Amino acid sequence: MSHPTYLNTTRRGFLGGTAAASALALGDRAQAQDAPPLEEYTPEYLSAAEWAFVMAATARIIPSDGAGPGAIETRVPVFIDLQLAGDFGNAADLYMEGPFKPDAPDTLGPQSPLTPAEIYRGAIERIDAACTDEYGNVFADLDPTQQDEVLSALEEGPSTSGNTPDMAEDAGGGAPNTDGSTAFGLTPELKEFFSLLVQNTKEGYFADPMYGGNADMAAWSYIGFPGARGSYAEWVGREEDYPLGPVSISGERA
Amino acid sequence: MARTDTKRDVVIVGLGWTGAIAGIELAKEGLDILALERGPDRSTVPDFKYPDVIDELRFGIRYGYMQRPKKSTLTIRRSLDEEAMPYRRLGSFLPGDGVGGAGIHWNGQTWRPQAQEYRLRTYVEETFGADAIPEDMTIQDWGVTAEELEPYYDRFEYMAGISGQAGVVNGETIEGGNPFEPNRSRDYPLPPLAQQPDSLHFADVARQMGYHPFPRPAANASAPHVNEYGMQLGPCNYCGFCARYGCLNYSKSSPQTCVLDALKRYENFNYRVNSEVLRVNLAEDGQTATGVTYWDAEAEEEVTQPADIVILAAYSIHNVHLMLLSGIGEPYNPQTGTGTTGKNYSYQMNGGTTMFFNDRQFNPFVAAGSSGMSINDFGMEQIDYAAEGFIGGSYMTCGHSNGQPIRGIAVPEGTPNWGADWKQAVGEHYGHSTSLGSHGSNMSYRDCYLDLDPTYTDPHGRPLLRLTFDWKDNDIRMTQFMRQRIEEIVEAMEPDSWQSSYKEDGATYDVRPYQTTHNVGGAIMGESPQTSSINRFQQAWGQHNVFVLGASSFPQNIQYNPTGAVGALAYWTTDAIVNQYLPNPGPLV
Amino acid sequence: MKTFLRILGALVIVGVVALLVFIFWPVSRSAPTQVAANAPEPAEHGEYAMRLADCAACHTAEGGEPFAGGRPIESPVGTIYSANITPDPETGIGGWTLAEFRGALIDGLDEEGHHLYPAMPYTNYRGLTETDIAGLYHYFIEDLEPVRNEVPANDLPFPFDQRWGLRAWKWVAMPDVGFASGATSDDPIERGAYLVEGPGHCGACHSPRNTLFVQDGYTASDAGFLTGGVIAGWTAPALRGEDSAIAGWTAEEVAQILGTGRNAHAAINGEMALVVEDSTQYLTADDLMAVSQYLVGLDGNGANRGQEQGTPSGGLAERLLDDPATQTERILASADPGMPEGARLYLDNCGACHFVDGKGADEVFPELDGSSIVQAGEPTGLISMILHGGALPSTEARPYALRMPGFADRLSDDEVATLASFLRTAWNNEASGTVEAGAVADMRSEEGG
Repeated sequence: MSHPTYLNTTRRGFLGGTAAASALALGDRAQAQDAPPLEEYTPEYLSAAEWAFVMAATARIIPSDGAGPGAIETRVPVFIDLQLAGDFGNAADLYMEGPFKPDAPDTLGPQSPLTPAEIYRGAIERIDAACTDEYGNVFADLDPTQQDEVLSALEEGPSTSGNTPDMAEDAGGGAPNTDGSTAFGLTPELKEFFSLLVQNTKEGYFADPMYGGNADMAAWSYIGFPGARGSYAEWVGREEDYPLGPVSISGERA
Repeated sequence: MARTDTKRDVVIVGLGWTGAIAGIELAKEGLDILALERGPDRSTVPDFKYPDVIDELRFGIRYGYMQRPKKSTLTIRRSLDEEAMPYRRLGSFLPGDGVGGAGIHWNGQTWRPQAQEYRLRTYVEETFGADAIPEDMTIQDWGVTAEELEPYYDRFEYMAGISGQAGVVNGETIEGGNPFEPNRSRDYPLPPLAQQPDSLHFADVARQMGYHPFPRPAANASAPHVNEYGMQLGPCNYCGFCARYGCLNYSKSSPQTCVLDALKRYENFNYRVNSEVLRVNLAEDGQTATGVTYWDAEAEEEVTQPADIVILAAYSIHNVHLMLLSGIGEPYNPQTGTGTTGKNYSYQMNGGTTMFFNDRQFNPFVAAGSSGMSINDFGMEQIDYAAEGFIGGSYMTCGHSNGQPIRGIAVPEGTPNWGADWKQAVGEHYGHSTSLGSHGSNMSYRDCYLDLDPTYTDPHGRPLLRLTFDWKDNDIRMTQFMRQRIEEIVEAMEPDSWQSSYKEDGATYDVRPYQTTHNVGGAIMGESPQTSSINRFQQAWGQHNVFVLGASSFPQNIQYNPTGAVGALAYWTTDAIVNQYLPNPGPLV
Repeated sequence: MKTFLRILGALVIVGVVALLVFIFWPVSRSAPTQVAANAPEPAEHGEYAMRLADCAACHTAEGGEPFAGGRPIESPVGTIYSANITPDPETGIGGWTLAEFRGALIDGLDEEGHHLYPAMPYTNYRGLTETDIAGLYHYFIEDLEPVRNEVPANDLPFPFDQRWGLRAWKWVAMPDVGFASGATSDDPIERGAYLVEGPGHCGACHSPRNTLFVQDGYTASDAGFLTGGVIAGWTAPALRGEDSAIAGWTAEEVAQILGTGRNAHAAINGEMALVVEDSTQYLTADDLMAVSQYLVGLDGNGANRGQEQGTPSGGLAERLLDDPATQTERILASADPGMPEGARLYLDNCGACHFVDGKGADEVFPELDGSSIVQAGEPTGLISMILHGGALPSTEARPYALRMPGFADRLSDDEVATLASFLRTAWNNEASGTVEAGAVADMRSEEGG
């Protein structure tokens, strides 16, 4: 007895075009695997000088030596460039109506009239100028020790933006209040630069690879975070190392 | 452009938890209902679909499910003489956006306040004397009792499928539950969640110290559940992406999982998204509302929507904003203490201690939003306010709600924030730390309130809401008291090292780091129109056909997460509308 | 020679005459059967009879007016469009007599005596009681508002566009008219038999068909009846015999899935979701139980796993922390990086809802261990489910239209094939044959549109 197809009414309407979006994530995976080397990457937003700065700075914020990958191997600079070119960089979600009081207390939150992308641009220009005055070279051309000196000075100068861990959700403490003088000629409009840079570097290190960083999910593998699996009911209460590597949203496995 | 639509029986502003509950309970009565939601529509598939929602950057860091400040924000100051600045980027709290509201992105911690929390001023005066209340503290009674609300808590918990272990059922104390909870008529609908080793270790130590640990009550289903509407929850798979995310697994109680598909079957219920209510319209005599005016983003026009009943079911601070913009109640004046709209904003006083156990493995990514073991031995009814010198209390919980790496990997104090040492530290300590936190009450004060900002406006040209709030000595003393208790337990847990973070003397409110989205008060319930905006049925004193649902009703903040009380009050009020108001419209008190 | 030609000529003439007689001999409609003594009034019964017969499934086009027809139905020989059965006099069935209406239901004839294509399940409806026929007639002629909707002409090539050919088909295919068992019996098994075999026309999808498209049996006494068919590339699973999809289910569980689209074992999707949405959810509790008791009484069924389920005292985590019952669960729960690729794909894509024991969760996440769709002879349903997901119907008792997302955007053809092959032999599953990537590619492009 054969099974000829009988009533083939169409039902695809309510399944909602998942196939139309198909191959999108698979495409991301292919792209990630064929990504050009970092040196050949053409930035979307950053100028050549800014790109050099971000490459150099992120390489010091998460260096390559020691255990675990660094910002460079995980392609964090690509992440930052893409973020600055997109909604984050353009402050698409932020309230950007005046009047602006950028020198208001830090604890009242960022009050700069500049978008994050503009803050990067303005701050990098001033820091490079200051480095040239101080050391005779732009930041990217300094040696690592000098670069660390500059980054430390930036950290000491303008305040942090309060990116404290919120491990204990709804039970967290406050952030240190460190209003400080501006360093490297960073005006109040630019004072958030260093904390943005550190925050964005960590974001690029740990975000899903589809955003350009965390190449090969190496940062997830390093700390033992399984990524986009989202399924651990059989592990509750088991105090043993979870051995399986991560998976990304697009289905990349490590 | 503007249009006027046909009159409805009921218009509901906001389609989150309270809007959904009011919607279905009134739809059952056959009323013609329109719910207006300013955000987009959302459902599990496609909006929270696996695995797309497991995206920390998009949702945990860039707040993909939250209100965008560009569209809706407020200004904040810490004192009457500070200039308020716009809350330009989200930080301290995260109001939800779209259908489901904050009900989609909460962790699911679902509590019942202790009985005395509803009559706090009376309780303190009776027990410790009126002098125990500082002059600038404006705490009040709610006008309802735990006994009255018990059936409505029960209803909400069974509707939402809460997982937990009862502590007191019909006067009997149950081993393993919270012995300090108010009496309940039956157990939770679902067994408690399973726990991780850090939480279990805490529970063992706490028990040895004579405390009473219990699993934190959770709106993360431990097993399948079917509720009174036939809606269903699947069991939680401990995916570790709860707060800030929609649930990928139909496991977290939300308007989507618990109400909406059942509600949408009622032909007399309709809802519109991308429809922001601009104001409530009042009759000429101001004694009733005639409906609302909203912005229809699709048609790009203002719409006047007449209605017999207006239910404000927006996020707490937005309920207050609409009332101020619409002339509902007299705006509160902090100088004179007169007026009620905007009065008694309060927040939540939290703190925590992080512990490092170098040789233990806690796999923090294995987590439900509300997993963890708690104690309530220092609850509001357990503390001698006269002896300790503060009014308040807290519950404490040990455990993880997630192991998401960008949001923060705890590293020992002194670790630099960047560089080789930071990288080494996150590698060494991920999975080997836990925290014991205090989740505490926050009293209300004369100068902590909401009004309209004189300078900044929203995209519709309306003045932004202005929040005036700071931490006060009473609550700092409370959290420091909790710190001492917690550090005693922490030492007994014998971590390799630990560090504390609690508000200290002189602390000012910092809007940048996330603290909690438990913004309460501003349209408070109470016993008299002189001291409160709404009566015990959450009905506006001045306009009997306006009801205001949500945590805006709390006269001061409870020691717990607010959703349990918000849900119970929503059922309490809709019950009063159905059984008292509809037969005989008018003031219920 | 002459004789031969003469004989041949005579034969040709006889043949042509026979053919002409075959084509033009007037058709006759079956006479009415006995009306039951306690039959309800057609006006009260009409809508319920319509639900029993699930007329909406085919006669309502997607996004179209109810019963105004025009729904395309793909047959092996071309596309047939369902008729407008609202009482519109020009484009619907307005003006049809009860006899003509009865003729369509049980003889497969329209009001002019033309043969209807067997997309209309008149071979099943042949057993309808006069009460149900009268109820249906009342519903469609009296209750419904006429809707003017000209449905497209069928798209069939010669010779399938010649309706007279159906007369021969009917000789082969048509069972006897009239229903033998007690349609109005108080015995639930007899009532269930009537509902399943008659108005419910379950056999139309759940029974195999031969090469002439004839359904293999119309009642429980026919061995092939309800032993499974294929519809729209999906397996309509066997409901009896060794491959029965409901083997071990209790009558209550069968009633639950028909009433709500879901039970502790499975969730309904695809074509059957429409059946639940338009028909079975409206059955009275008694009729639902009658259908269910009849089905569980068929060979191969019966509640032999009833006690295995039931609400566990603890939650999901406790269930999974028990000692693994199968090698598959042991591997998955180990999170061992050396596990086979299929197992890894399961953990990374499926385990979040179906869990490492493949048991899912009652009424929410279907069981994959023991699932008929997973183990179906043809894996098309399984592949389609992985690629495109599925959705449950919203029903009165269970309004939640739960959806499974598709994974077409996350899994390559090879990965879907590896995953599907893994599932077919995971836990206690015992399907034979591996799934090839080519089969996945076909379904991806077919469905991708």
